[in-house]
Amino acid sequence: MAPSRRSFIQFLAGGAGLLFLGWTALKALSARVFQAALPPRSVAPGNHRWVMVIDLAKCDGCKDCTKACNKMHFVPPFQEWIKVYEVSDNMAAGPYFLARPCMQCDNPPCVRGCPTGATFKRTDGIVIQDNDRCIGCRNCIAQCPYSARFFNWGEPKHTAEELAHPYSIEHNYPHRMGVVEKCIFCPDMLRAGKLPACAEACTMGAVYFGDELEDAVTNQKGETIQFSKVAKRGAAFRLLQELGTEPRVYYLPPAGRKYPAPDEKPHAMGSTA
Amino acid sequence: MTTERETILLRSLTETTWRFYLWAGMLLAAVAWGLYAYLHQLRNGLAVTGLRDQVSWGLYITNFVFFIGISHAGTLISAILRVTRTDWRRPITRMAEAITVFSLCIGAPMVIVDLGRPDRLLNLFRYGRLQSPILWDVLSVSTYLTGCVLYFYLPLIPDLGMLADHPDLPNWRKRLYRTFSLGWKGTQPQKYLLEKAISIMAVFIIPLAVSVHTVVSWIFAMTLRPGWDSSIFGPYFVVGAIFSGCASVILSMYILRRVFRLEDYLLPLHFRNLGLLLLTFALLYTYFNINEYLTVGYKFPGMHKTLLEELMFGEYALSFWGVQMMGVFCPIALMIAVLAFKRHQQFIIPGVAFASAAVVAGAWAKRYLIVIPTLSSPYLPTQGVPWEWSHYRPTWVEWSITLAAFAGFLLIYTLVSKLLPMVSIWETRDEEAADTEAPERWPAKWRPNPALGTALIVVFALFCGSLARAGETRAARKPKATVISLDWHAISPSQTPPASGGEHVMPTTTPRAYLMLDRVFGRVGPGISLHEEDRPLPSINATASLLEQGGAGLSFKVVDFSLKTSFGILALGSWPTLDDGKASVVIRDRRYGQYLLMASFRGDDEAQAARGEAMVDFGPRPPAALPEAGVLITPYLTAGIGLPFVLFYGTMWVVLVYAFGYLILWRMRRNG
Repeated sequence: MAPSRRSFIQFLAGGAGLLFLGWTALKALSARVFQAALPPRSVAPGNHRWVMVIDLAKCDGCKDCTKACNKMHFVPPFQEWIKVYEVSDNMAAGPYFLARPCMQCDNPPCVRGCPTGATFKRTDGIVIQDNDRCIGCRNCIAQCPYSARFFNWGEPKHTAEELAHPYSIEHNYPHRMGVVEKCIFCPDMLRAGKLPACAEACTMGAVYFGDELEDAVTNQKGETIQFSKVAKRGAAFRLLQELGTEPRVYYLPPAGRKYPAPDEKPHAMGSTA
Repeated sequence: MTTERETILLRSLTETTWRFYLWAGMLLAAVAWGLYAYLHQLRNGLAVTGLRDQVSWGLYITNFVFFIGISHAGTLISAILRVTRTDWRRPITRMAEAITVFSLCIGAPMVIVDLGRPDRLLNLFRYGRLQSPILWDVLSVSTYLTGCVLYFYLPLIPDLGMLADHPDLPNWRKRLYRTFSLGWKGTQPQKYLLEKAISIMAVFIIPLAVSVHTVVSWIFAMTLRPGWDSSIFGPYFVVGAIFSGCASVILSMYILRRVFRLEDYLLPLHFRNLGLLLLTFALLYTYFNINEYLTVGYKFPGMHKTLLEELMFGEYALSFWGVQMMGVFCPIALMIAVLAFKRHQQFIIPGVAFASAAVVAGAWAKRYLIVIPTLSSPYLPTQGVPWEWSHYRPTWVEWSITLAAFAGFLLIYTLVSKLLPMVSIWETRDEEAADTEAPERWPAKWRPNPALGTALIVVFALFCGSLARAGETRAARKPKATVISLDWHAISPSQTPPASGGEHVMPTTTPRAYLMLDRVFGRVGPGISLHEEDRPLPSINATASLLEQGGAGLSFKVVDFSLKTSFGILALGSWPTLDDGKASVVIRDRRYGQYLLMASFRGDDEAQAARGEAMVDFGPRPPAALPEAGVLITPYLTAGIGLPFVLFYGTMWVVLVYAFGYLILWRMRRNG
């Protein structure tokens, strides 16, 4: 039988009808299936958006922040959740110190890539790590452009003090083998109304910490500055922000430094780059 | 019943020499050694490997990508040749499909070996997030493995039926073949159903195979790392996979031909045709390589420059150029030499086989060069860690497990080639029978009833409609955002100045392309809306009245304003009082919530110090939500990312169930 025009039009109409039905079904199903509420663990206590401002002009590379963090979190050896780099932007520019905590990105690549939701974003902006759930695939390490994630390759050495605390994602110890570790902005300190360990330890007052919704950040000396103003007038920048990670850590440029530059310091770190 | 030719073919099943035992024993020893190494790793953690925080993926991921890669050609070649009804495929499809199945069986567990906590593997299913490329891999590789096992098994059924009657075999093997032949008697309806199932599988296995290696490449391409962050990675990996897979098929053809004396089946024609295919893919791969490196090398952007310098002139230069020479250029030259010139015709078989061996070895090394150099050139410099932590040197554990992976692959191949004929008997027999008779169409037992079909569609439509309406009503019940009103106490307000535009406006992110799906299917996810309404800046006009005891205002005094925040006191500045003793300050910050506002007068010789406090309300804080910028960080699956994967692989599973479950298990068995 030769195909008539009529039958071909019928054939096309049938196809269009099927597509429409499928479309409706998908729409209805997706409205049902895909939940629109946050799970309780993503909702942080209090309605905050934590933000950190690091004034590079004040950082003298003493690494007090790293030491305080390591002490407080019993950080395993060779991990530095907040790490002080010695960097320079170009050949002509002098070197400066750059403290790098976790950037707690608003569009965190690690959270995107985590297959089990072991690392997740909270409503207060913290990218937190649940080591009861981590399977150790290290996709987040590959994803993080800031090298801010670490892995417990072997069983970490424990201290009695560390083991005395039960595990909580808010302080992330006792540490365990085969899972990923990171800076989490000390949520247990924040709960107690205290600054994170690194900000509390920075005697130079270079590390400011606060709530973006309060529009104020405070450093160890109690100096409180208006976040939006200092970000605007101080030409704050975010590390590698061209990658679209939307970090929550802002840096003030290392202009007009008061301390000797890294290459002039007696205890300058050896650069192994 | 069996011809001379088939007797040779079946000799591999019936005869076993000491050489087989020696070979299998060696492989078994290598596998056992690898298992010991893995146990060692399980006990002591990944610390026994050369991996550290900087290079955190190494040989295991290299092996994973390599084995998934060589799994490609088998099924893909066999499926494409089947779909296009190419007759010379018949003797080679079986061994090609076998490579696919076995390399998947070895490749997939390599990821588990790489896990820090393999004991928590089930978390992938308990808490799996389909936003993660790792889950895409789990989904696609498991679908592909199932598909390939079935696609390997279906064309085996007639041979199994035949072998079940073979006189030279021990009884347990006959019983095994009988069970797995699913009652195959070779009747016309059975043949029709089998052919149908195989054709359906062949069509669907092609997009599935392409998707698998694309997804594997996305593990890398979905990161921000230089060298991986590349839009070409999907097709680059697919082409590389087919390239290496094609070479491994040729290599296995060459080896099986020598070992089992299959010269009657595997003719120079096969090596020539597959050699041409390999040459084509070698040229394609060269093209992709040029594309990949030239686009970066021309511009040398940022970190890509460091990586490319390391690869081409630095630490990896020797291996990089070595791999390009051994894996691509030399095989191309050799294949052109034997395939294009008539006088070199007698070298076709060894020439193509030798080129294939080089390609397979080069492919493995190339995977290594994809994984490691990128990880060893991070964005931030490597400082303050030991040399070994930033330079990857695989340890004996990793080499042992890698060796065991290869040995395991060969062992499975060897054992299966003793158990099953590696050349399809019934298909090559068909070939002899001039394959004139097309299988007759088997009369359908059940025809769709138009009335019933229409009724079903109507019921389904009604059901969908009701679902949709249910969804709408639920959406309507949600509370609407209200207008923010400013309010404060103690310090009397005058009026709110109009919020001036351009005051530190947060950058709005542009919606990503895949969000277009969400426009249609609903919102993206928890707490994330595409267009957050513009929140007016909360502004406050606070006035402090500095009054004398009697009530008259003190003029020209300095009043300091400050605000108590979570961690400290924010100074807002100092303002003088005017004639009426009032100092006012306009606070127009991005601040929400209630605060203690403090106005203080330090006092001078005319007046004493004074302090005033009041709670000010800057308006409600925005609701607790995940940041708008993070789209794929939602804790639950969203339509935009979930539906494409679920639909694609769901379709594949439906096809697998239909082709195998219905056509073969249900209908073919009953037609015996």
